[in-house]
Amino acid sequence: MEALTWTGSLGSTLGPVMIIAVAVFVLAVVGNFVAAFATSTQQVTAAGGAVVVPWRWSDKTSFFELAIPAIAVGLVLYALEAFTADPTLSAWLAELGLPGWLNTTITALVFLLMGGFFAYLLQRAPAALFEWLIRWSFIVIVGVIVAFIFFSQFAGYGNAGIVGEMAKQFLPVWLALILTFTLSIIFKRRLGLYGKLFDSVIGMIGFGLVMFWVFTAVFVGIFDLVGTHDPLAQISGLKNQPPGVPMPEGEAGFAHYLLGGDNLARDIFSRMVEGSVIVMMIAPLATLFAFMVGITLGLPAGYYGGRLDTFLSFLANLILAFPVILLFYLLVTPEIIATGLPNYMAMVLFIFPLVFFGVLIHSRYRNQPSKDYLILAIVLVPLLMLYLSVINQQGSPIDFWPLDFFDIPGGILVVFVSVVFVNSPTVFRIVRGLALDIKTRDYVAAAQTRGERPWYIMLWEILPNARGPLIVDFCLRIGYTTILLGTLGFFGLGLPPESPDWGSTINEGRKLLLIYAHPALPPAIALLSLVLGLNLLADGLREESLKD
Amino acid sequence: MKKWDYDGPILEIDKLSISFFTRLREIPAVMDFSAKVMPGEALGLVGESGCGKSTVALGVMQDLGVNGRIVGGSIKFKGRDLGEMTPDELRDIRGSQIAMIYQEPMASLNPAMRIGQQLMEVPMIHEGISETEAYERALEVVADVKLPDPERMLRSYPHQLSGGQQQRIVIAMALMSKPSLLILDEPTTALDVTVEAAVVDLVKDLGKKYGTSMLFISHNLGLVLETCDRICVMYSGEAVERGSIEDVFDKMRHPYTQALFRSIPLPGADKNARPLVAIPGNFPLPHERPPGCNFGPRCDYFEAGRCDAQDILMEPVPGDDRHESRCLKFKEIDWDAPLVASQTTEKNEPGQVVLKMDNLKKYYEVAANALFGGGEKRVVKANETLSFEARESETLAIVGESGCGKSTFAKVLMGLETATEGEILLDNKSIGSTPIENRDTQTVADVQMVFQNPFDTLNPSMTVGRQIIRALEIFKFGKNDEERREKMLSLLDLVKLPRAFADRMPRQLSGGQKQRVGIARAFAGGARIVVADEPVSALDVSVQAAVTDLLMEIQREEKTTLLFISHDLSIVRYLSDRVMVMYLGHVVELGTTEQVFSPPYHPYTEALLSAVPIADTHIEKQHIVLEGDIPSAMNPPSGCPFQTRCRWKDKAGASLCESEVPPVRTLADGHQVKCHLSDADLASMEPVIKIAAE
Repeated sequence: MEALTWTGSLGSTLGPVMIIAVAVFVLAVVGNFVAAFATSTQQVTAAGGAVVVPWRWSDKTSFFELAIPAIAVGLVLYALEAFTADPTLSAWLAELGLPGWLNTTITALVFLLMGGFFAYLLQRAPAALFEWLIRWSFIVIVGVIVAFIFFSQFAGYGNAGIVGEMAKQFLPVWLALILTFTLSIIFKRRLGLYGKLFDSVIGMIGFGLVMFWVFTAVFVGIFDLVGTHDPLAQISGLKNQPPGVPMPEGEAGFAHYLLGGDNLARDIFSRMVEGSVIVMMIAPLATLFAFMVGITLGLPAGYYGGRLDTFLSFLANLILAFPVILLFYLLVTPEIIATGLPNYMAMVLFIFPLVFFGVLIHSRYRNQPSKDYLILAIVLVPLLMLYLSVINQQGSPIDFWPLDFFDIPGGILVVFVSVVFVNSPTVFRIVRGLALDIKTRDYVAAAQTRGERPWYIMLWEILPNARGPLIVDFCLRIGYTTILLGTLGFFGLGLPPESPDWGSTINEGRKLLLIYAHPALPPAIALLSLVLGLNLLADGLREESLKD
Repeated sequence: MKKWDYDGPILEIDKLSISFFTRLREIPAVMDFSAKVMPGEALGLVGESGCGKSTVALGVMQDLGVNGRIVGGSIKFKGRDLGEMTPDELRDIRGSQIAMIYQEPMASLNPAMRIGQQLMEVPMIHEGISETEAYERALEVVADVKLPDPERMLRSYPHQLSGGQQQRIVIAMALMSKPSLLILDEPTTALDVTVEAAVVDLVKDLGKKYGTSMLFISHNLGLVLETCDRICVMYSGEAVERGSIEDVFDKMRHPYTQALFRSIPLPGADKNARPLVAIPGNFPLPHERPPGCNFGPRCDYFEAGRCDAQDILMEPVPGDDRHESRCLKFKEIDWDAPLVASQTTEKNEPGQVVLKMDNLKKYYEVAANALFGGGEKRVVKANETLSFEARESETLAIVGESGCGKSTFAKVLMGLETATEGEILLDNKSIGSTPIENRDTQTVADVQMVFQNPFDTLNPSMTVGRQIIRALEIFKFGKNDEERREKMLSLLDLVKLPRAFADRMPRQLSGGQKQRVGIARAFAGGARIVVADEPVSALDVSVQAAVTDLLMEIQREEKTTLLFISHDLSIVRYLSDRVMVMYLGHVVELGTTEQVFSPPYHPYTEALLSAVPIADTHIEKQHIVLEGDIPSAMNPPSGCPFQTRCRWKDKAGASLCESEVPPVRTLADGHQVKCHLSDADLASMEPVIKIAAE
């Protein structure tokens, strides 16, 4: 078996288009920036004079006005040339057989000239041209990427290179994404805030990135698709091998390590997609729990105010003031685990959803006892069973409940508890602030004057109207939690060392970073893209919820 | 840029059209709007919310935001087209030649800068004058807007001033560069009535003194009558009638103007004999305007096939100076036809006493340091010895400005606060010291409230039906969900809303419809006492009448006692049986409507009556302007609460007023006044409002 190249034969056709498009895009962005700068100075000069004359090239162009853009643009072009797979200009020059110094000089001159020409264009070209260029080169770039993904699905094995094979592996994810986007865009007018998201490009990109990892986690975790190898299996001879390395003779299964092997000869690609499962399991759920805690404490703090508020806010400040990493180190210390502190914390933190739902239902159906008890039973009994199963751990100080259905691995429990613990004070403060604002509204007064109980007002009158900022914060907070998980993994806290989560894999890759960069990069890029996606999604939601 | 001289009209708007672009569609906000403001002239722009009057002002400022664009016509300022100016030229003109005053004074001032700096900035930027010169001018202008102690004012920060003082500072800032055109966008809406009267007075005087032209935007016809020379009435993005004040007020030539005047309570209107005529229907949404005349569907004179056939243009009214109307039929309509009394109703006889307040007092203790509870405690006397009775099916109006204690009183009555002293008797059962948690369901259902702000009164994330059903659940009405749903639908019928509204969200309803839902919710438990806290003051004029009528009608049917809290004396006179005037927690006057609205008055009542703008050219008002602002309830004046602003203080003896709280005196049967004035002085008072002989 041959080693795979990055893009295979498909890349040699689409590659040049991509390079040109990227070059145009970068130049246009730089040009647009400089043009905007130029127009603003032009306006300042014009403001002094009574008659406004359009600024002309010939008038008074100082040396720097031409030289600086020329050098900048030249450098950009040179960098682009240097990083392409086969540098056209220098290759052509090399064929002429000139001495090395002349070679370099000519190259530099050519680029300076091109830069100068571009700078000249840039001084004259209207800003609209740059915008047009940016838009279309961006569309071309996206188009090439989509085309690459599309065509690689039909290319024979290895023809589309590493990227193509990865694109093939992600096929179920692509299909799910296409389905989600098509349905959402068709019905976007009927979907409320979620539908509005599809009016904003930023929001759509963010949503796409997030959903990419969500679907990856689903297909890897539940259907065992996408991944190529067992994330924990080691194959001798593949230790620290570069991306696209073929399997040794006689090994069954997928023929290559797509992204190479790590320090223990495990498949990096499989570990990366497997890592998404851990993130997707813990981050949203932990954030949700943090919200339950924050909401259940923040609402009364804001609504009642007074001493309760002072006390709770003080507690929140206390937790926020405590160094997070130190707290984590404390929580994972074996001696502390032996005392059962994480278990007790879990006992306290996990009770909040029960309290939340109990109060939510009871306050609403207080006046219809039969309905009240029925719904309470339907919701609370399963939750209670779940709760007891979660907190009851064999061999831990809390071990009294006979009907323990499952045990959460100790490491995950600690990570979960710590993430919830440090996130909830921030949520508490947001909810408290929102409650302080909303409790002055007339509909709250109306509820009070018809004799509603405080918890009904908090949960049914105040909370639903605070949902906008809370949803945005929820998205952002999943991002923070993801990073926090990465941090925990990086420090080796909580999760077992062989765990494929992104934080741990980055940490492992870091040790040999200077010799082998490839093991650390994929999980780092994965983490980056997910958090970026979440932030963009939150941005899009915030922006769209303000519009109408 | 220098100010250029031009002797034509200061502002000339010609066939202006402005649209806003949303993601779905283009929304035309202003269509075919023309206006002319001559030097020294004040033009009033009147219309309901959403009619585009503020958009015109923003268009003049060329400040329409990202989505707004001028799609047709031109705006000429002193002969130069504002639309063709560069951003720099516009920046030069704004603030120096065209100044704008907004509704919310606190939002127009920078809270982090001293007043003086903010004022001096204007001429320093626009005219480049020195700091000392600018300071001199600031002092002068602050004195011009009649603020006491100008030097101290210039040193203070905005939050240290009261609302009225802030608005005066905003006016001063607008005048700093002696602009040629002043745009006032609802400048007094956020202020109290007596303060409003003083500010309006000031604006009028300054307009004369500086020779500034004014564009005065307001929804209040009375205010425009007092301040402007010419008026332009707008409806749904179009000017429907314009002309001089006298022409439009006395010889209106557009059905909308006529309907507007018929729906506001002028003196002489009576809820039983001459009820208000509400304009039927709703204001059309900008993208759902009817073809032809926008007012067509709500117009009494509508003629299908003619009024909805083509676009209608402004046409001059023959014989009048620059008086135009956008109506095809104005020459045919008999404008002098007397109003056919729609329906007269029997006056309800008040029944037995339902609610009795006996020496009610509510004090708040305010700790100087909230966190640790230490420091000196101060007592705020929000309600001082309130005593009155309210009978079945009676309307008792509670009148007063902000800080007079009417909201506190409502809170105590509802049980959200408990009384410090004294008693509230509901059917001879004391409820004054029972907080709402401890009241039984029937008591809670009996005393209900209608709130002021329609946009705030309904929970935005619950359907209308659900909110009413929730009230029914709380009041333990009905055995099951079906019964409650049935009752909810009948309540919607009661407030004249279509049953389909049950499944709507509040954001899909207009302000008046929301207020109706609020009324339905209040009556869900068969309330016997309803406290209506300014229920119509936030609504548009044409909707106000309809909601007021609805409230009256339900009251007649249900024999409810209505406690109507308001600062608008016109509407109070129209609908109430008895009136209670409050000032700084004290009841200063209490009596039947006739007694309160005719002399002898309490000096405060007299000033209030004079302050209310009345949209009728035949009314002659005595001109009484109160000095200063309402004192803070934290630090009330000694003796009589009103003595700091009273113009009769010298007659009663200043030392007496400053040292002793006046006793409650009964002047006639059921007419109480809290004042030191002698009987002779009281008898010498003249009526504030006189209807001039026609």
